[in-house]
Amino acid sequence: MRNIRIFLRVLRETTIGLKRSGWSNWLVISILAVALTIFGGVLQTTMAIKGVVSSWGSQLEISAYLKDGFDPQKVARNVSQLPDVQLVEIVPKEVAWAEMQTNYKVAALNNPLPNTLHIKLANVQAVEKTADKLKTFSSIEHIRFPLKVARNLNKVRQFLEIAGFVITGALSAATLVVIGNTIHLVIQSRQREIEILSLTGVSPWYIKGPLILQGASYGMGAALIASAFLFGLHAYMDPYIHEQLLSFLPMNSTGLDAGLLPTLVVVLTLGVAVGAGGSAWTSGRFIKI
Amino acid sequence: MKAILEIRGIALIRLQNIHKEYNGKPALIDVNLHIGLGEFAFLVGPSGAGKSTLMRLLYREESPTRGTVTIGGVNITRLSRSQVPLLRRRLGIVFQDFKLLPRQTVFDNVAYVLRALGVDEIDVRRRVSSALAIVSLEDKDNEFPENLSGGEQQRVGIARAIVNGPPVLLADEPTGNLDPQTSLEIVQLLDRISQRGTTVLISTHDQPIVDAMRKRVISLKNGQVISDVNSGIYEMEALR
Repeated sequence: MRNIRIFLRVLRETTIGLKRSGWSNWLVISILAVALTIFGGVLQTTMAIKGVVSSWGSQLEISAYLKDGFDPQKVARNVSQLPDVQLVEIVPKEVAWAEMQTNYKVAALNNPLPNTLHIKLANVQAVEKTADKLKTFSSIEHIRFPLKVARNLNKVRQFLEIAGFVITGALSAATLVVIGNTIHLVIQSRQREIEILSLTGVSPWYIKGPLILQGASYGMGAALIASAFLFGLHAYMDPYIHEQLLSFLPMNSTGLDAGLLPTLVVVLTLGVAVGAGGSAWTSGRFIKI
Repeated sequence: MKAILEIRGIALIRLQNIHKEYNGKPALIDVNLHIGLGEFAFLVGPSGAGKSTLMRLLYREESPTRGTVTIGGVNITRLSRSQVPLLRRRLGIVFQDFKLLPRQTVFDNVAYVLRALGVDEIDVRRRVSSALAIVSLEDKDNEFPENLSGGEQQRVGIARAIVNGPPVLLADEPTGNLDPQTSLEIVQLLDRISQRGTTVLISTHDQPIVDAMRKRVISLKNGQVISDVNSGIYEMEALR
């Protein structure tokens, strides 16, 4: 019961702290909301592009043309043992020839086509590596794969990951500074209360708790604003991106929505964590008990 | 010193071979003191004598460089950081500048710490009313500090210090901001609290008050105890 009363007092002190901070609450929440929106936007874009790239990646396939005299079933079994290989489809030369004759009305010749394997991979990164391994197969005459596309997609993915990491780090540091300064001002305005509480044996958590909760409230408020904005932006932009941009691409693009829910969860968690963490750090630095 | 200890019975506060240095400069040198249960004592000396340092050692704002401080049989120099609040709950501290919260009423100022410790509201009301009655401020409970005189503000500070029923009351220059008549009233109030069983230690350099009370006087000079006298006076010449 005593602990419940203490917890309620901590909540009350938090409310008093927020009331006293007045307009500076909104300043902190606004700055933090902008930072979280940028962070969330970058994260969501990164995840969406990764989702799209991933969907492209599964459509990137390697075509392997077999030498005559090798059993395509046997070669396909060997190829399927390679890491990252998801699916191996055998196109017998008779089938390929029949299709070609149907589609193109070619002259009646002896079948010049080889047995072919269409190899689908788990991800874009594996394309080049798997192609190099296939070249060592004595049963394979020649392989074809979209080398340039694979390389470019890898570069885009790597760039987004690094950019996302750097931007997240920079914005987290900036928001920590903003929250730290605000909580420092609150500590200065409550200096006398803190001193009295400390000298009369009140637990350090009672003294620091309201400040940490105040920081967490800033984080939560800013994260909710950022999430609402990101959600609205997604709802507005999604049809446009699907209809105007992705429809012009040669590959089927799915996975655009993959980033939204995780992004909102990350933004909320990060907002509260940065708010509470920044306050805890500042409290520890300026309140000596 | 031994005679004093025997007369006064159990030592509630005990300082043994206390040395305190700041950046190599001594602030307290080989201080040995015993203060008994329910005793009233003045700690006197000029500025820089080490009075405040000694008081800070008692409420563990500082730790000695060497030696031990024991309160109620507990060696407080060995307390961990998390145990310090437990010690401070057993001490009442009165400050020279009162340290009242200007936006809270007299009642709320006194109740502030009890509420922070999770005491239930009925108990808070009972204890605060009792503390305000002891300092004769029961009719000012709804006033804000700015509407009170200096003496009344210090009485609120004393009520806050005793509201949790501490066995030890430490007052650091409690009359420093008060006129002579009010100062005497405040010290007499602290004496009455001592007579109810609380050990009271007052640091001061207010000679008329010390001389008027004729209580135990511990004199500090350059960090050393130079005299410890029952029914003493402020020996200005010796402390110069």
